[in-house]
Amino acid sequence: MGYAAARGGTEAILAAERLVRSRQEGGVSAALRAEQLTERLSLAVDRVMGEAGLWAPELAATALRQAEGDLVEAAHLLRAYQSTRARLARPATVDADELTVLRRIVPAYRVPPGPQLLGRSLDYVARLLNAAGVSDTRAAPEQRAEGAGPEDPTSPVEAVPSEATDRRPGRLLRLLREQGLVADRRRDDDPEPYDIARQPVRPGVPRSARLSVMARAETGALVNLWYRNVLGPDGYIHEITLGEVRHGYLPVRVEHPLTGEAVSVGRVRVTEVEAIEDLDGPGERRDLFDVGYGLCTGHNERKAIAMANLDIAVERDGGRSPLEQSVLLTTDGLDASGFLEHLKLPHYVTFRSMVERKLAVRVAEPTPSPGR
Amino acid sequence: MSHATWTTSVVELASGEPDELGHLDEQSKRDIRHALLTAVAVPGYQVPFASKEMPVARGWGSGGLQVTLAVVGTEDVVKVIDQGDDDGVNAANLRRLIATTTGTAHTTDARTATIIQTRHRIPEDRLRPGQILVLQVPVPEPLRGVERDMRELCRMHAEGDYARMWVSLYEDVVRHGVITRTTGYPVLVGGRYVMATTPIPRFDVPKLHEAPFLSLFGAGREKRVYAVPPHTSVEPLTFEDLPFEVERTPGAACLLCGAKESYLVEVPERDGWICSDTAWCARRRDGDEEAELVSEARDA
Amino acid sequence: MRDWTLRLNGLTKRFGAVTACEEVDLEVAAGEALGIIGESGSGKSTVLRCIAGDLPPTSGKAQLRVAGEALRLFDLSPTERRRLRVSTISVVHQDPVDGLDLRLSAGGNIAERLTAAGWRHFGRIRARAAELLEQVEVPLGRMDDPVGTFSGGMRQRVQLAKAVANDPALLLLDEPTTGLDASVAAGVLDLIRSLLEESGVASLVVSHDMGVVSMLASRAVVMHHGRIVEAGLTDQLLEDPHHAYSQWLVAAARG
Repeated sequence: MGYAAARGGTEAILAAERLVRSRQEGGVSAALRAEQLTERLSLAVDRVMGEAGLWAPELAATALRQAEGDLVEAAHLLRAYQSTRARLARPATVDADELTVLRRIVPAYRVPPGPQLLGRSLDYVARLLNAAGVSDTRAAPEQRAEGAGPEDPTSPVEAVPSEATDRRPGRLLRLLREQGLVADRRRDDDPEPYDIARQPVRPGVPRSARLSVMARAETGALVNLWYRNVLGPDGYIHEITLGEVRHGYLPVRVEHPLTGEAVSVGRVRVTEVEAIEDLDGPGERRDLFDVGYGLCTGHNERKAIAMANLDIAVERDGGRSPLEQSVLLTTDGLDASGFLEHLKLPHYVTFRSMVERKLAVRVAEPTPSPGR
Repeated sequence: MSHATWTTSVVELASGEPDELGHLDEQSKRDIRHALLTAVAVPGYQVPFASKEMPVARGWGSGGLQVTLAVVGTEDVVKVIDQGDDDGVNAANLRRLIATTTGTAHTTDARTATIIQTRHRIPEDRLRPGQILVLQVPVPEPLRGVERDMRELCRMHAEGDYARMWVSLYEDVVRHGVITRTTGYPVLVGGRYVMATTPIPRFDVPKLHEAPFLSLFGAGREKRVYAVPPHTSVEPLTFEDLPFEVERTPGAACLLCGAKESYLVEVPERDGWICSDTAWCARRRDGDEEAELVSEARDA
Repeated sequence: MRDWTLRLNGLTKRFGAVTACEEVDLEVAAGEALGIIGESGSGKSTVLRCIAGDLPPTSGKAQLRVAGEALRLFDLSPTERRRLRVSTISVVHQDPVDGLDLRLSAGGNIAERLTAAGWRHFGRIRARAAELLEQVEVPLGRMDDPVGTFSGGMRQRVQLAKAVANDPALLLLDEPTTGLDASVAAGVLDLIRSLLEESGVASLVVSHDMGVVSMLASRAVVMHHGRIVEAGLTDQLLEDPHHAYSQWLVAAARG
């Protein structure tokens, strides 16, 4: 008898769970501590937070450990956890110019306004596998002084450049605007951003919805959708130059319940990208650039770049192709994986129905063709 | 004050166990109920809702689970089945999630359950007024096969323009001599909206027509709910001169209880068939007289 | 005209600074075909598209008499305009691809119109589709073949069958034979003429080809730079054009 017909489905699940736990808790290697993940596999933790849409480094590390390294599963754990939490407050809008950079590069200019700060990046580290690995006989980490630990356990240790380095550099975009080179998309009204947690999206939603969806989309989905859009049969060529690639901290502020003042309650670490698009399409101003925007939690440049590219691609597409629908509805990692893997569930009731129709077709009288 | 102190205070504020009643906070449940009320008011119409992430994956019943958690109360008795089987692993998992977090009682008896969450089947027992059937929906859009663009789909439903669906049925008959749709058969609800009957077999579709019970459909991944209130017409789309065909295998009977007119699934190893509704089948084996059928479909 | 089916008053369509058509007045009665002659850019297709509901006019009025009631077309919502396209107004496009679904069979394309109008009996749908295909001289053996496998001329015939399937009150034909080979066009033209005569539908025939218009329409208007410059009986227009542009057109057609 198959698994679905086995009596005692509950017993089967409990047994499966025991097997999972025994593997997680057993074995000869040392137990995995959350801080090992936040310190040693910080990019994985960042990616999980980004795809859960939640800034919570310790929780993300716990989820990653519980999911045995499955990034989508870990993101699922985080999001499911978030469903149980009531919202405490609404954070105040923060200006992205308040981002304190850990890393900032401007490919579009050799000497942009503000620094070119390479920061901590693997980009230029040669892809040579260090097969010897890290020795296991390193000294134990020093005892940390009380209260002096970083509140962000995933913050990278970066080489600190000179004291004069501007940690809040002005944007390249400002320079381009002063020169009148950028299509101006700024508005005077201040519409509420679309809340994808309260309202599902469909084509035609405002740009804020699209950005929200992509901010917590699966990294691979965005990268491959971009790649397909550029190289695939139905895509078109973009001429993108990156204006900003930033990794750093943004403050989080809420209204104090008693004083009503805005108070800082912490900070989140994000990656931000501005992609400059060379407008050259029919009906577009050839004498202007336009800009795509990408922002995600944690350090994930690949995702933010893909996001910025897709943002401007959808904007320019204007609903002509199914690109907007693809971005809005097919990039969520949990939706896609869940639906794909649901095929593992029993489907014998439906399969029996298909077999029945196949037999029915075989014995059916063909539809008479008039005139034959 | 330092950042560390503020962070600690916020953590204290936020500490505590998740809500006692289910995996959703109260506001989310209200949002779902609001959507369900709209759904009941407009039978067969797909109402968007802010689907939350559940402890089960998308595609595995997260929508049905949210609907159940939104409507369940402490007095309810919940039955959960998958393929008609209470003991399937997915049904067992969902039942456990519902029972342990809401504290409600659960049962395998469709006659005494107040809420029945189901995947792919409607129980063989005749359900009563006051019972709620919650169906898990993978794909809520019945027109998906004939149109991909969401805006055009919205227009088609809004204007009741279902010509392309009818043409696909016409072409089906022309090519194959019969309508070859298997499960999730499209139906016209209340004479207005075409609706997907989730993948329940054609055998179960007639049970929805003018039913005394309420049916709620939850699609978590696609973020929609829809409903068929009691005593609503639910008509499978077919031509006047082509009767609606349900799954039948002449001569098949359940190896365990002998039933011929319940929905049977094949057991090739034993060269026979068994009831998909395991609880109903077990009662029949025990000689239960009340195990009566709802299905009116007759062998062709 | 007292028994008009379609009446247009002052139809004007501008695209920004460009005027596609201006102050167009015309009337068509049931059983009558009115031709609109002009070169490309004359505004004739714009007029057709405004009546069909594919283009919103800038100003003007359009009335359609259906079952004794006069509908004010431009006052209707897009939804109501679309509903009219099921059984009341039909369009035959220059390129049959625009009026057909190539993936569907010939019968299926017609079935789409019939089911949109509420037909639910498979046998009757099939019989009606067969009857129409026979009328347009499409071999019944090809009724179930996808229209994508048909030649241009055959596709146009299917489009015609589909257009008249629900006995519309108004038929709009936009360069119905322009895309076809001359040899094929003649047959299709003949077919259209008999269809128009037999059905009693009111129709507008838009074409740059005077020969087509003279074959199908008893009355015609000539459009130039968005305006009607001359109107009258087709025979008289051909024999004795008054406006300079009409004269030029007639001469060009002859020469």
